[in-house]
Amino acid sequence: MTTVSAPPIDLRGVWKGFHDVRRDQTVIAVEDVSFSVGQGEFVCLLGPSGCGKSTLLRILAGLDRQDLGEVEVDGHTSVVFQEHGVFPWLSVEENVGYPLKVRGAGRAERRRLVAPLLELTGLTDFRGAYPHQLSGGMRQRTSVARALADDGEILLMDEPFGALDEQTRLVLQQELLRIWQDSGKSVVFITHSVDEALTLADRVLVMSARPGRILADVPVPFGRPRDILELRRDPRYGEITYELWRLLRQGAASASPDDPSDVPPDAPSSASPDQDVPAPSEVRAW
Amino acid sequence: MVSTSPSRELLVGRLRSERSGRAARIAGPFTPILLLLVWEVASRSGVLDARFFPPPTSIVGTFADLVAAGTLQNHALATLSRVGVGLVLGAVPGLLLGIALGAVPLLRALFGPIFASLLPIPKIAILPLLLLIFGLGEASKWVIVAIGVFFYVFYNTMGGVLQIQPIYFDVAKSSGASRWRTWTTVALPAALPSIFTGLKLSVGGAFVIIAASEFVGSRTGIGYLIWSAWGTLSVAKMYVGIVTISLLGYLAGLLVALLERRLVPWSRQ
Repeated sequence: MTTVSAPPIDLRGVWKGFHDVRRDQTVIAVEDVSFSVGQGEFVCLLGPSGCGKSTLLRILAGLDRQDLGEVEVDGHTSVVFQEHGVFPWLSVEENVGYPLKVRGAGRAERRRLVAPLLELTGLTDFRGAYPHQLSGGMRQRTSVARALADDGEILLMDEPFGALDEQTRLVLQQELLRIWQDSGKSVVFITHSVDEALTLADRVLVMSARPGRILADVPVPFGRPRDILELRRDPRYGEITYELWRLLRQGAASASPDDPSDVPPDAPSSASPDQDVPAPSEVRAW
Repeated sequence: MVSTSPSRELLVGRLRSERSGRAARIAGPFTPILLLLVWEVASRSGVLDARFFPPPTSIVGTFADLVAAGTLQNHALATLSRVGVGLVLGAVPGLLLGIALGAVPLLRALFGPIFASLLPIPKIAILPLLLLIFGLGEASKWVIVAIGVFFYVFYNTMGGVLQIQPIYFDVAKSSGASRWRTWTTVALPAALPSIFTGLKLSVGGAFVIIAASEFVGSRTGIGYLIWSAWGTLSVAKMYVGIVTISLLGYLAGLLVALLERRLVPWSRQ
């Protein structure tokens, strides 16, 4: 273990690009991103789809490598993936126990370790069910429970509740906060929902449309533990919501006006990201 | 809990009575028997030419004679063993090569075209060649069934591996699974439904191939039974052969389906 002051996650000047061989064009997904996440902190990355936030998470998870910059991740990372991240050929219990299995834990040990996690996530009665027999909410509970079984000090969550209906999402958000509260884990949570970011995070990192840059680092003033319903009555909730939307609109306006994949290969490159793009693209985006 | 307002009861009653097609559902399974009955009557009354369509009861009689003499069992056993050996000889390399070419793009780029160019050959067309190479014995039957089975299993396995969602590999990697573990715990189970599709097609194909092979290159097997019945104009015997090989094919397919339900319990019906 390192000293208390060293943050578990620290990124400095991270870039990531992809080259599309068929179209012969390069897309910058992540541009000069720097941030750090403190011990036990809950940080949301908020941005439109395709802004490179999933790419950032893959880099943090070790599933991908940055092209430029420094990435320091101190501790084991456990990932909660988007929907479809649970294995359809395993039961709920086997899915949750999967990280233990690949590390060589025996059946009895897996059962012992998985049981309290099933209890914690409300899955005990469904432990023998297969994912196709479950609702989307139950599947994502399974995904969360599996990440808890993996038991990394750092939890990386890639829009885990994005495909759920509003009511189910609120329930799972509240449960996630309850589980996280007692765990001391650091969390990086990716979302495109302003409400979700405000509800969950200590800090919200707002990202621009592609190429993804960090536009702002907004602290969330609400205390813990949070009641995610009462939160919405707080007058500050509306203010920060407005602030975040304002930043997102700015980010959409300053990004390349069109999705690069729509641009023919030899088209002149569009405005540089730092340049102030005039109103028309703003009108189009909103 | 359940309210008993009049309109609710009215609605429940109406929904209950909406059982359309119930009679058809009950009668459905019995229509083949009806067909046999019509056949029997038509054949005996001379409406159907009894030389080509002998009454089903006389076919049953021939069936009983052939069973009593042990002929039918011997022929069935010969056919079954050829199909069984051929299935194993074709499915195992099909599975292994399908996984290998599905997983390694370089292998797929190098050897994919070879299999693609061999695929369109009607397998039965190479029987004479196989008879030259392997002779009239069992080996030529095993090989021709194996070749047919190979292509079904190979292509379905490769397709299954190629269609695995990348997110599953991400889950394995982030859980700390080794390469080998990833193959056994993710790639194989994820491709299993496709592999079974290949196996089910294989069983059907294997019986087609073996029947045709036994027509010409054999003195045993159900195919031979059917062919020799043609030579002696014993049409009832021919029907016994046709029904028997259909039945064998059906049962073999059922066996694979049972195995699938056992090994792939997550796949929806």
